[in-house]
Amino acid sequence: MIKVKCYFVLIFLLIQLFAFSQLKPSNDDAFNTEIKLKTKEFKEQVNFSIAGAFFLQEKWDSTLVYSMKQLSDANANTEIMNYCHYFRAISFRNKKLLNEAKKEFNRISNDFKFYHKVKSLLGEIALEQNEFKKALSYFKEIEKYSASKNSTLKGNNVLHDIGLCYLHLKEFDKAEEYLFKSAHEHEAEKDTLMLIGSYVDIANLYYEQYKDSQAIPYFEKAYHLSKKVKSFELKQNATLNMAVVEENRKNFPLALTYRKEYETWKDSLNDQNKVWEIAEVEKKFAVKQKQKEVNVLAAENKAKIAERNGFLISSVLLFVLLGTGVYFYRQKIRNNKIILAQKNELDELNATKDKLFSIVSHDLRSSVNALKTSNGKLIQNLESKNYTELDVLLHKNSSIASGAYNLLDNLLNWALLQTKQGYFYQESLHLMRIVEHVEYNYKPLMLNKNIEFKSNVSASDYVFADLDSLKIIIRNFLDNAIKFSKENGTISIYSRPSSEEFCYLVIEDTGLGMNEATRKELLKETILLSKKQNDDIIGTGLGMQLCKSLIRKNEGKLDIESEENVGTRIIIALPKFKNHG
Amino acid sequence: MDNINVLIVEDTQEESDALVKVLTENNYNIAGIARTYQDALTLFYQKEIDIVVIDVFLDGKPDGITFAETINIVPNSVKPFVFLTSSKDRQVFERAKLTKPFSFLLKPFNELEILYALEMAVEKFYGQTNAFHSEDQNAVVSNDSLFIKKNKSLKKVQIRDIVYIEVEDRYCNIITETEKFVILISLTKIIQLLDPSEFFQTHRNYIVNASKIEEIIVNDNLIVLKGKHKVTLSDKYKDFVKHFRVLK
Repeated sequence: MIKVKCYFVLIFLLIQLFAFSQLKPSNDDAFNTEIKLKTKEFKEQVNFSIAGAFFLQEKWDSTLVYSMKQLSDANANTEIMNYCHYFRAISFRNKKLLNEAKKEFNRISNDFKFYHKVKSLLGEIALEQNEFKKALSYFKEIEKYSASKNSTLKGNNVLHDIGLCYLHLKEFDKAEEYLFKSAHEHEAEKDTLMLIGSYVDIANLYYEQYKDSQAIPYFEKAYHLSKKVKSFELKQNATLNMAVVEENRKNFPLALTYRKEYETWKDSLNDQNKVWEIAEVEKKFAVKQKQKEVNVLAAENKAKIAERNGFLISSVLLFVLLGTGVYFYRQKIRNNKIILAQKNELDELNATKDKLFSIVSHDLRSSVNALKTSNGKLIQNLESKNYTELDVLLHKNSSIASGAYNLLDNLLNWALLQTKQGYFYQESLHLMRIVEHVEYNYKPLMLNKNIEFKSNVSASDYVFADLDSLKIIIRNFLDNAIKFSKENGTISIYSRPSSEEFCYLVIEDTGLGMNEATRKELLKETILLSKKQNDDIIGTGLGMQLCKSLIRKNEGKLDIESEENVGTRIIIALPKFKNHG
Repeated sequence: MDNINVLIVEDTQEESDALVKVLTENNYNIAGIARTYQDALTLFYQKEIDIVVIDVFLDGKPDGITFAETINIVPNSVKPFVFLTSSKDRQVFERAKLTKPFSFLLKPFNELEILYALEMAVEKFYGQTNAFHSEDQNAVVSNDSLFIKKNKSLKKVQIRDIVYIEVEDRYCNIITETEKFVILISLTKIIQLLDPSEFFQTHRNYIVNASKIEEIIVNDNLIVLKGKHKVTLSDKYKDFVKHFRVLK
């Protein structure tokens, strides 16, 4: 009966011990720093560093996946391979896949830095699988190794494990020796948990050999030490051991108290579990609550976003509205400005027109008046039959009438040009013929004034112009030339050598000429009419204006060369007709 | 050589008188004077007309344009015409312009201007611009007549009256059955303008009216025409004989 219980305790404790040994390797600081260094060193091996990171976080499944990926990469060197196998082995072991773990360990080559660790782990696995002899051989190897180096290795664990192996193999002497060694080291290191384990094991060792007197002090030692630690399981085990011991010593009351203590520890363990469960439930509840809150917040967020979008759209709309408003306002202002400018322009034009109107009507009035008085003289002379005087008067009348007609013609053309009512069509014109047509009308006049007339226009000049406006231009300049010429003067019309673009027609007279200021004034692009300086011969300036406008409309150019009292040269440049071969 | 027949469509007596005076002085033949649109149409289709002078406004209405539009409808019978107008009003012109080919003369005009306008009308109508005013030509060829500028006025010759044309430098001697005269036109141009089924070149310098041929003496390289005119037939142009049915 007792024996059975003893075994029961023993097995219980052994499992307990493994739990310790399991914790140790993975939390080995030296080893962890080494892994960190290695992952840094092999940074470019992404899978390896990830696997290492997961390994350190003790996420075994992920470690397995990434180390597998790393292993499938053919480029990896042996060191990385070893680490990967090591990661996998530890992961398998932690997942209780001991055979797999063993396989992985065996794949690690002997030059691995932590090879002794591998051995010890293999030993632990063997121990776990109750292959005590095998385990013993592993442990012995490590013992030898540690004897030679004795640096990084935690010999105590190994010693303990060897002790356990001997215990299982019923080689109690050796077991005793190793367990004591282990216990001494634990004492030296003040590792209470391990020490309790060692004490229990030693106690079990003696108990197994029925050396109760030697066993009991160790049980008690273990029990007392267990009071100082927090682990319920240890306390429970230690107490149970004491209970069993007392029971065997027939000290039932004490056994009972130990039992009860054991029960309380067991309860507290259960309580702890329950507390954990409740905590779990609470946690779940809290999570649910949080989820609800999150949902509510999400809904609120949605509403907020919708509201914000609404705001955004409305603000954009408002902005657009504002923009168009501003645009139209500015447009209006601009329009107003334009209208104002146009109004000023119109006012000016109207003033010019009024002035023109007054000058023209004054001219016409004096012309008609002259005709009237002349007609009166005509009647008188007819009555007195003075035919020579009659002829003079009639010639005078005709020149007055033609002057008035020219003025009216210019006025009409000016009006047509200004209102753009006139017909305007540019075509190929034979310049010589047109000049001939115009001069035909002036020949008697020039003969009358005894002006010598020379016409020498090139027969090959074809211009691109509107026929009627060309006639008006030539007519006006010819008219001017006659007007400003003295008796016995000379007027000549000729063409200058044409350029690529233009034909040049020159109307030259040997008349009054003009000074530079007047010349410049005439060439200015103004619509202002020149003031009357000389009542007799200087007209309204309307003809000049008309000519300038018409030349511009025909895309031609006007130039004047003049010298006072020597003569004037009017140079009209007209675009060449290009299609003519 | 015949005078040109002009039809005047003008409602004002004074103006038509002035026109008649100027035109007759320059050897134009006045075919008729129409006062109204109806008169104009009647005269136009009755008489043989070469050019029409049309006043745009007849009795205050733009009937002149209507008349031009009417004669324009029948393309074969239409003749060159000139508009006379005292107004440069654009609206009237826009309408008149549609009767192509369009030429006009503004009143008042002098002798040179009206003669020029008539020449322009003929040139434009037969699509031979600058024919009368360039330095190397003074004739326009239509389908049935040859218009020739002689001094200030125009003359015409019926093309069917031409017996043959002899080229001499830049000039062409036109020989009809009754007369002989010189015009200024290049050979290449006149051969283009004449009907190729009636006129054939027989020599570098000769163009012959086929209907006037009386005898072709191939061996002597000679063609005898009406009026006993004799023309050389050069080897290069002998092919033209193929156009005639030869009895053997």
